[in-house]
Amino acid sequence: MIEELPQQLDLPDYAPSPVQEFRPLDPRAVGLWRVTDLIGFGVLLLTLLISLCLAIFANLRFWPWLLGAWFALAALCVWYSFWRPPRYYRSWSYRIDDRVLETRSGLLFKSARLLPLSRLQHVDIERGPFERMYGLASLVLHTAGTHSASIRIPGLDAGEAVRLRDHLVEIGGDDAV
Amino acid sequence: MPSDTFSTAPVFEGRLHPLTIAFGLLKAGRSLIYIIPLIWFGNKSYGLPLLMLIVTSAILTTLTRYFSFSYRIEGNELITQQGLLERKHRSIPLERIQEIRVEQGLLHRLFDVVDAKIETGGGGGAEASLSVLSRAEVEHLRQAVFERAAKIRADAGQTTAAAQPQGVAPERVVILQLSLKDLFLIGLTTNHLISALALAGALWNFADDILPESIYRRAGNYLVRETERLIAQDVATTIVLTILSIVAVVVIGLVFSIAGTIIRFYGFTFSRSGEDLHRRYGLFTRRSSSLPRRRIQVLKIEEKMFRRWFGLATLRADTSGSHRDNEDDDTGRDVLVPIAPRSEIDGLLTTFFPDFDSDQAEWRRVSRLAIRRDVVKGAIICALIAALSFVARRQAISLWPLALLPVIWFVSAARYRHLGYALGEHYFRTRRGWLGRSTHIVPINKIQAVEIYQSPFDRRLGLATLSVDTAGQAYTGGGPQISDLPVDEARVIARTLAHKASATRFRW
Repeated sequence: MIEELPQQLDLPDYAPSPVQEFRPLDPRAVGLWRVTDLIGFGVLLLTLLISLCLAIFANLRFWPWLLGAWFALAALCVWYSFWRPPRYYRSWSYRIDDRVLETRSGLLFKSARLLPLSRLQHVDIERGPFERMYGLASLVLHTAGTHSASIRIPGLDAGEAVRLRDHLVEIGGDDAV
Repeated sequence: MPSDTFSTAPVFEGRLHPLTIAFGLLKAGRSLIYIIPLIWFGNKSYGLPLLMLIVTSAILTTLTRYFSFSYRIEGNELITQQGLLERKHRSIPLERIQEIRVEQGLLHRLFDVVDAKIETGGGGGAEASLSVLSRAEVEHLRQAVFERAAKIRADAGQTTAAAQPQGVAPERVVILQLSLKDLFLIGLTTNHLISALALAGALWNFADDILPESIYRRAGNYLVRETERLIAQDVATTIVLTILSIVAVVVIGLVFSIAGTIIRFYGFTFSRSGEDLHRRYGLFTRRSSSLPRRRIQVLKIEEKMFRRWFGLATLRADTSGSHRDNEDDDTGRDVLVPIAPRSEIDGLLTTFFPDFDSDQAEWRRVSRLAIRRDVVKGAIICALIAALSFVARRQAISLWPLALLPVIWFVSAARYRHLGYALGEHYFRTRRGWLGRSTHIVPINKIQAVEIYQSPFDRRLGLATLSVDTAGQAYTGGGPQISDLPVDEARVIARTLAHKASATRFRW
């Protein structure tokens, strides 16, 4: 029948290199995400407002209610855009030792991803217009895998991202495919 | 690109078989069948020239293809060339070639020629398609490609544990052959309803093409009328008829699925020569493929519901080039062994992973909280149904869903007992499922990434789901994954797997 799970796991914690501490992203990422969130919600709210205006022109009777709902929604969006980024920022961390890159992220649904560095196919640095404004960059790590074929580390300092990329390519590059 | 830019002389050169022309014309003719009625009933003064145009262009394309197509092995590459005006030149690095697949339809078999498809790890379908070649030529090509690729690897100083002595073609050993009885068993235990529907659909299409519309419409009307008349008679007859028709559907489904299995897997032979695994199967269209065994990324032992009762299992594999294209879905490419007793499959594993036997790690179970969680989940559903039916009819009997609780506990416990993982020196295994069970085996050096996932419920119980990512997961249902692990244990496993994987080399 059902056996008890052994209390103490007899697997060796396989860490031949000194275990690195988890590092946070650049704190400026909070500001960046607030801006991008606001813009994203802004577009949504604007389309809603436009359709609302059309409805008013079409003599919809209960438009004050709809307008009220729109304001409530707008307030919610603004609050969420300020509430989420710092928490999401705190949920994000990564660490690299000489063999493995590990990332942790997620507010409600948490996920941790471990990437053996010798499996790295190539590394991209991506910088959108807002990221450039904040002096930030995203690092995208590609493997030959299927469902998590790329791992993205957002909100890194631009200089740090370049340094990290060079470091990763140097470590991972010896695996000739 | 002119060929004189290459310093190395071509090692192996070839052209398509002369029958290419005949097959090309036949194919063009077959597609013309659909157009002819259109032209016939349409405006004839436009239709006839149009038909001529199509026919001539088909003939021209076929001829151009035959006379301009050539392939050769040059240096480290397989090069195909095609086209008169616009020359298409494609070079495929030999060590990237995964598999040379061979298909032989009925007509092909008459003339002993084949279609050959060359696949790489790219995942975008066949890299080059050689249609048609004589069978002897394909054998030569296959040998030349894989021998040279092995030599290139050896020259590059990569140590292969079981390197073949150069120049000696390794002997082909038959490992598994399926008899008609085995195929019968597969057909009997597959999901016959779906295959029956598929076959009925195919037949319908066929009838649609061949028969004039009025005939099957009249037949359909007749059926509907007769059924209505019977239903009108009395209830008992209706019930008997319903049962009879259900039985008929099941029997027809069984017959179809057995026939389908025999057509697909007839004469299944699985053999090995050195590092290469060969499969050959098919009644009408014979397919054969060879695959270097180190290309296998994940193995899945699948024990579906009915088959598990008979102790039977199916072995599937993902290779780094696997991908699903619709037309190829049903050809059984991913199936290494369509059916065999589970014990026999366990014995076969060393054929795919030579060092597997020395790697027998113990199976471990997940957290017992898995049972509690499943029971709670089931209980909530039962309680909801009970509440709803009680609201509808206020009688004690309407609380019957609550009687299912022991069953739920039993199922949850059974599911828990089958959920497990084994972490060995070179291989990671997971298994899950109670009625139908699947076991995944992944060589640690094929691991691309490891992921730990926690839903809010997971976090409350301190559990996590661990999944392993490999290249080309297309057929094995997403690779090894194990839920309900204590989160600390999941972290240790993930770290161990990632570090071990990183210390090994990944080769395509």
